[in-house]
Amino acid sequence: MNLIAFSHWLESTPLSQSIQTTSWAIPGIQVMHILCLATLFALALNLSLRVAGRGLALESSRSLAQRFVPAMAICLLLLLLSGSLLIIAEPSRTITNQMFYIKMSLLLVAVVLTLWLANVARREPDKPSRLHVAVAVLCMLVWTGIIVAGRYIAYYIT
Amino acid sequence: MSTTFLEWLQGTPLAVSVAEEWFPLVESVHVITMAMVAGTIFLVDTRLMGLTSTRLPFSYVSERLLPWTWVAFGCSVLTGTLMFMSNATGYYDNTPFRVKMVLLLLAGLNMLYFQMVTFRSVAAWDAGRPPSRARLSGLVSIGLWCGVIGFGRWIGFVIGK
Repeated sequence: MNLIAFSHWLESTPLSQSIQTTSWAIPGIQVMHILCLATLFALALNLSLRVAGRGLALESSRSLAQRFVPAMAICLLLLLLSGSLLIIAEPSRTITNQMFYIKMSLLLVAVVLTLWLANVARREPDKPSRLHVAVAVLCMLVWTGIIVAGRYIAYYIT
Repeated sequence: MSTTFLEWLQGTPLAVSVAEEWFPLVESVHVITMAMVAGTIFLVDTRLMGLTSTRLPFSYVSERLLPWTWVAFGCSVLTGTLMFMSNATGYYDNTPFRVKMVLLLLAGLNMLYFQMVTFRSVAAWDAGRPPSRARLSGLVSIGLWCGVIGFGRWIGFVIGK
């Protein structure tokens, strides 16, 4: 089964149909998606800042990672859930959209970089190395790229 | 507001170039800065409610995070203004847009009241659990910002050209 056939099948499922026919469902799911991304973005910013020796530096980086990483995981799960519902509701909008695949590739990179930063934070280095600062900056750039790619999905519908 | 002014506004070269070319990029920057604003505000508000970062003083958390909030808010206002200009008459007639502006104003008033009244006694509760008035202020702020985001997203679904 090719992607277009899969997309048509998904669109015809009862779950997809019920989201499509409920007027507030897609905006509501999108708002949940945005709230989670805002929270995840701010948590990622603070983890990155902390690893770079800035931000909430009064708290040990280990303790900050212990608090923030589980919260980020919950946000990511909710983002994957709401994102999946949006794909199920309008598969033709995403499944054949190259911007969506760029977004998902960037997401993989962001997760790897964030986990690496969390690992550095747990080891509590005395001073941030140049590599730590560079990865922290790169990590935030990739999260930013994900938001841009996400917004551009709407402009690249094929 | 006069229709003549709104029509003039959306006819300016800047507004036309946003409408015809730059809208997706301006909107993306708006989403990034909005995420920064709301996300950092949620972290400060949940500390104010005594729910997160409880081992850090409230004033420290707000001092460290709010500069990011304000810079992002400035960029959000700028990009929001550009989007408004690109279709001024459409946004002006748009109910979710109007509700969003009212909620933004209320969020500002809530913050002002907190700064002028509640925050004056911060020394007494900075390291511990904030008083009920402060916690309420945090809750109201979170609610209002969720509303700003909700109605903001809604604008795009009902905007007319």
